This record gives sequence, C-alpha cells and structure tokens, in this order.
Amino acid sequence: MAAAFMAYPELRHPFEAKPIHAEGSASVLYQGRQITLSETGSGPGLLINPADLKRINGFELKPEGACYADMCIPLNSKLLTTQDGQQWFDLTAFADLLEQPYVFDQASNVWSFAEIPAKRDNMMVNGLAPDFEIPDRQGNVIRMTDLKGKKALIVTWSSW
Amino acid sequence: MPVWQQVYEEINDPDFVILCVAEDTGGEAVAGPIFDAAKPTYIQIVDADHIISSAFNFVNVPSAAWIDEEGRIVRIDEGTYAKIHELGNEEQSIKFGNDVYTPALRDWVEKGAESEFVQSVETVTGNIRELSFDQQKADAAFRLANLFREHGLTEQAEEYWNLTQTLNPESINFFRQNLTLSAEGSAGQSFMERRGEYESQKKDYYRPLDMDS
Repeated sequence: MAAAFMAYPELRHPFEAKPIHAEGSASVLYQGRQITLSETGSGPGLLINPADLKRINGFELKPEGACYADMCIPLNSKLLTTQDGQQWFDLTAFADLLEQPYVFDQASNVWSFAEIPAKRDNMMVNGLAPDFEIPDRQGNVIRMTDLKGKKALIVTWSSW
Repeated sequence: MPVWQQVYEEINDPDFVILCVAEDTGGEAVAGPIFDAAKPTYIQIVDADHIISSAFNFVNVPSAAWIDEEGRIVRIDEGTYAKIHELGNEEQSIKFGNDVYTPALRDWVEKGAESEFVQSVETVTGNIRELSFDQQKADAAFRLANLFREHGLTEQAEEYWNLTQTLNPESINFFRQNLTLSAEGSAGQSFMERRGEYESQKKDYYRPLDMDS
C-alpha cells in the first residue's frame, strides 16, 4: 500500500498564545462564531443580557416568547430572571429546555453550544437542506437560502 | 479538487453550483494552496469548525449532498469520489473512487426530478445519520478545542479534542483531524489501525454508494 498523505504538516501549529477575550468577559461559541459578552449574571448557568440573545442564536424576545422563524418558546421565570434590578436571560436553561448540548470551560469562561435540534427538524423529518451561514474564501457569506433556484452539490474534502 | 473543477466545467450549467468545503482546522494555510492549484470557479469554503459536516451529519470526507432548486435534499451522505483515483507507483499503488458518481450527477443536473438518481424523501431521511445527544455535544467540544488551539492553548485544546472523540467515536473526521496535530499525522499508524478495524469488522467506512457500477 502506498504511504498515505497529509499536506503541509509544518503549517499545522501556526498559532501563538493570545487571550480569548478581555478580562472579566465570557464567550459563547455557536455555529462557528465567537460572541463575546462583556456582562453576564451570576449563578451556575450562563445568564446573558436579553439584548444579546439575537446576536448569539437568532432568537428574539417577543410577547409570545423567545422566537426564531415560526418557532416561539414561551418564557417563564426560569428563563427570564432578575438580579439586583437587572433582567437576565438564562441561556443554559434555554438550551436544556431545547435539548441543545453545550460544553463549558470554567477556567476560560467559554460556553460552546451545538446546534439547536429544533432548527434541524426540517432536515431530519422532511429532508430539507439545513440552514447554514459560512464565509467563502473570498469573504462572501454563503447561506443555504441563497442557493434557492439552483441545484447544488455540497461536497466536503480535507487536506489530511 | 481539480477533479471537481473539471466536473463543474463539463456540466457547465448556470443553474448548477458546487460548494466545495475543506473540513480543516488548519484553515486557509493548509487548504488554500490546494484550492488554488485547482484554479476553481466553484464556491470554495474553508470550514475549520466542520460546520458543514455537522449541518448534514457527515462523519467522514469526502461526503456530499445534492440539493434541488427548492432546497430539498435528493441524495445525501455517500463516499463521494468523482472518478477512480490512483495514488503511488505501479508496485505500491492504491486505487479508490468510482466512475459512476459523476455521470449520475450530470444526469440529475440535466433531468432534475426525472433523474433516476433522485431519491425519495423517505430514502433521503433514512440516509441521514441519527446523532445521539452526546454525538451532537461533540460538535461543541470540537469547537472549544479549536478555539483553544487558535489561541495557542494546546493543553486545553487536547483536553477537548479528547472529549470530542469520547462523545462521538464514530466520527472519522474528528479522529483524523485530531491526528493532524500528532507527530505521526492523520494517515499514520493510528489511522491504518482504525481503517483496519473497519475492514476486519466489515463496517462501512463510508455509507455505500447506492448506484449501479
């Protein structure tokens, strides 16, 4: 059998130590983005300013609940809490409710969230392409919805 | 990737696009030159966090989905080779791939829903991998590992790479991507042993290509 091949081994450790975020901040990872939060509430979970919700996962607070597309999750006192007169949205309680997995690294104060399963029902049940949003090499943001009207082959590969 | 450029040029239909996605935490530094060498005109994405693989529940490369004009998946998750590839010299050559995928793709682009290669919703949804809660959680651990690596925190990165593989041991993508950071590389002894396990247990390394050859 021929020796297998991995391209550019020398380029795979190119990174220098640098801070993840400013001292005292928290970061959320979601769908390939890092969202830095300058303020969070205190407690075991991740309490965010409700105004930050949309830039994290696209959900917006409306009278009927936390809403994304045609989905609305009714709010309760666990999801929306008050500390010292300030309102917080409990992002980890929200994730638990939606069965959205996450991993927390306490030392660095980074919360990494997997996709929200309800956002994927259309694929799992109806065979519709999942939404995604990702930059191409030229810096254009490519969304699945932008490809409507065309046939698309989405093919993965790797250098390794 | 030159092979996909050739396919793209041969099909040459303004209403057909290829998104070619490099699943590579090494990023532009490692995937960029390979793309450039193909002189591509299709859409090129360097996907360090494996966003596209997790969107479609892919666990290996190359894998693909065909999406029609209405956003319906009509084929998904097959070992996706555009031709028969041959690596190495005559004494030590390895052949892989097939010569049926590209003609099938061309047939679909021409005939659309009438193509015999278009699968029903039931077949497509049946071919989408079901991932457990822990397997989905692996995506979150993987991205945390990548963040640490990008910031030069290799010990923390290693901790979460390991967690990733514990959570989703079925993912060849995660297994081999992690090996890129080891001295032996992604195609060394560990990979050969893992590959050997698939062969000895008759497990599918890719979902079988459901096309006559």
